[in-house]
Amino acid sequence: MLNSLRLLLPALIPSWNFFDVIAPSPRVEYALTSAKGEAPHDWREYRLRPERVSVGTMLARLLWNPRWNQSLFVVACAERLVEDASDHSQDEIFKRIAADLPGEAAPWLSFRLVFLSRRGEAIEREVLFQSAPRRLEDIGVR
Amino acid sequence: MTLEAAARLTEILLALALIQQSLEHLRGFRDERVLFGARIALCLLVIAGVASPWPLVGLAGLSLLILHRFQGPYNGGSDRMGLLALWCLTLSRLTPVPQWKELAFGYLGVQLVLSYFISGGVKVVNPDWRTGRALRDVFQFSAYPVSEALRRWADRPRVLLAMSWAVILFELAFPLTLLSRPTLIAGLVVAAAFHLANACLFGLNRFFWTWLATYPAILWLQARLV
Repeated sequence: MLNSLRLLLPALIPSWNFFDVIAPSPRVEYALTSAKGEAPHDWREYRLRPERVSVGTMLARLLWNPRWNQSLFVVACAERLVEDASDHSQDEIFKRIAADLPGEAAPWLSFRLVFLSRRGEAIEREVLFQSAPRRLEDIGVR
Repeated sequence: MTLEAAARLTEILLALALIQQSLEHLRGFRDERVLFGARIALCLLVIAGVASPWPLVGLAGLSLLILHRFQGPYNGGSDRMGLLALWCLTLSRLTPVPQWKELAFGYLGVQLVLSYFISGGVKVVNPDWRTGRALRDVFQFSAYPVSEALRRWADRPRVLLAMSWAVILFELAFPLTLLSRPTLIAGLVVAAAFHLANACLFGLNRFFWTWLATYPAILWLQARLV
């Protein structure tokens, strides 16, 4: 209860500093391997953006946008994870990636967090976190 | 608009916004379905005006469980504004003292004004925002643009410079809209259009509905003060 009240406090006394600085932005990448000790190499980005979204779809998403909001929650978990390496954020990211991978043959799942930032005119990528592999069937996705 | 009418309109709009968010969670994991199913039921009681203020109290209590579930807000600023509105309404309904009712509900109106003004303030002191570079960064590499085609807006620096200053000036000028009823309504229409654009370009649909739900609070506060 005390923890929940601590989490409530920033809502009751908000800072409202939206986009005050454009911080490095995380991308979640995952890889599947056939053995726990195998080094993951085939990294894929979690939920790539579509090339285009029509105006009609944008307007429809005013009322129904669960997939995108879930992706934004994963971004929030990624930012929290590099700040304080909590099990909760890691569990949430694992669950949401695993839920997108039904029936995968390779049993071990790893993810890493790649942060994009600008230096001068160049966009730089830096891996700030890589998880230990988890067995897909051990990740609860219901 | 009386305090009672404004608070009632706010709680109905907020309940509708929370139902929209909760429906999105019903396709999630089992624990989410339980939490957000309960929230939909309480929101329906709020809209029906049944057993007031206890459904609001239930929603406030449930908000703590939801914060615990996600270890914070699920969707950052929009959830925080929803929490602020919910707790202000609940405190305003629970307190027996008329002045405290006004204070709790007025606090929501004040925070709404600050949500624009402070956002404008933190941007105008940042050279990257003043040159349009920050908005270019948002389109170029942030997590928000909903499509790859939108990322190419980063190649239009003059458009983004104009957009940056339009946002900064609107946000900083928002408190001036309180001078009269027509200016406030005009300001709220522009603000709603701003949230609509954010919803379309960045997928921030929850901001649109949550901020709209709080507008009766500022309409009441303006009439109370001016």
